[in-house]
Amino acid sequence: MIVGVSFDDTAAIAQEWVDAADPTPTFPMLLDRELLLGELYGIYNVPSVVWVDEDDRIARAPVIAPGDDMFKDFTNIDSSVHHAQLRAWVHDGTPPPPSGHEKLMLPTDAEQLARLERRVGAYLVRSGSAAAAEPHFERAVELAPMDWTIRRGTLPLRGDDPFGEKFFAFMGEWAEAGQPGYGSADPGAPG
Amino acid sequence: MQIAFLDAEHGPRETTGRVDGDAVLISAEDVSALTGWTRRPEGLCRDDVCVPVRDAELDRDEAIDIARMGAALGRPVVVDAAAGVVAWGEPSAARRGPIEAGVAPDFTLPQLAGGDFTFSSIGRHKKLLLAWSSW
Repeated sequence: MIVGVSFDDTAAIAQEWVDAADPTPTFPMLLDRELLLGELYGIYNVPSVVWVDEDDRIARAPVIAPGDDMFKDFTNIDSSVHHAQLRAWVHDGTPPPPSGHEKLMLPTDAEQLARLERRVGAYLVRSGSAAAAEPHFERAVELAPMDWTIRRGTLPLRGDDPFGEKFFAFMGEWAEAGQPGYGSADPGAPG
Repeated sequence: MQIAFLDAEHGPRETTGRVDGDAVLISAEDVSALTGWTRRPEGLCRDDVCVPVRDAELDRDEAIDIARMGAALGRPVVVDAAAGVVAWGEPSAARRGPIEAGVAPDFTLPQLAGGDFTFSSIGRHKKLLLAWSSW
């Protein structure tokens, strides 16, 4: 069973995307505006998938798994690689193969604090206090500069374009830092 | 004043408190209801655990300095006294545990379609958690 979880800040934004999806998702779609699952499962970017088995064990730690190849030129991730692995697991119980980027990302103290700062900032934006939110977002980014859910996720909350200048500046930093993160299911893709 | 108390599992909950400079002070009773930690003579207690308190400035009359309480418990806390917002966090070790052990933590989140959804309600099936966003 698929459970879709949006890391957006409002149901309205998430619903727009669900409405635009074709075919319409029939599985549960949840809103995780506090990024609880980021903390619980060590999710640092989207779209990420976690495989959980019948015994509620984590069969596969988070990996980047785009639904399709819309951004393949940008990410170099072949989306069909994950989907084939998933089918094999669901149908035959085949465990996930190593992607070559295997790295279990465990939360650090700084990352936890960054999550709190982001949470406060998001709350203040929702409450109409964007100016009061700013120092919290700055601090969150300082504490966890490579966490995409913070570095990129806060951009729309701060009135910035998640595909704009600040994002591309981040991409540059991220590339220079060796593309830290858990990477995708596709061993052919970088990072 | 109204204080917004945030944590990952609950989102914002409103409580009352006092602000003194950079400190947010919340009554021991409210703190207990919000965090599960109760102020006792032995220290800060939850279930069978009591953590001794050595910080002379943690207690302020009948109230508790929430930032100092977090520090006493080894938890991350963010306090914005001017805005009346507190974010209460889990120590990273608490979050690392289940991930390292490969145990999928349960959770409850609101559905876009309305109502709440609890992960464990799915039962014994293979599950794919798909985290996505518009950004």
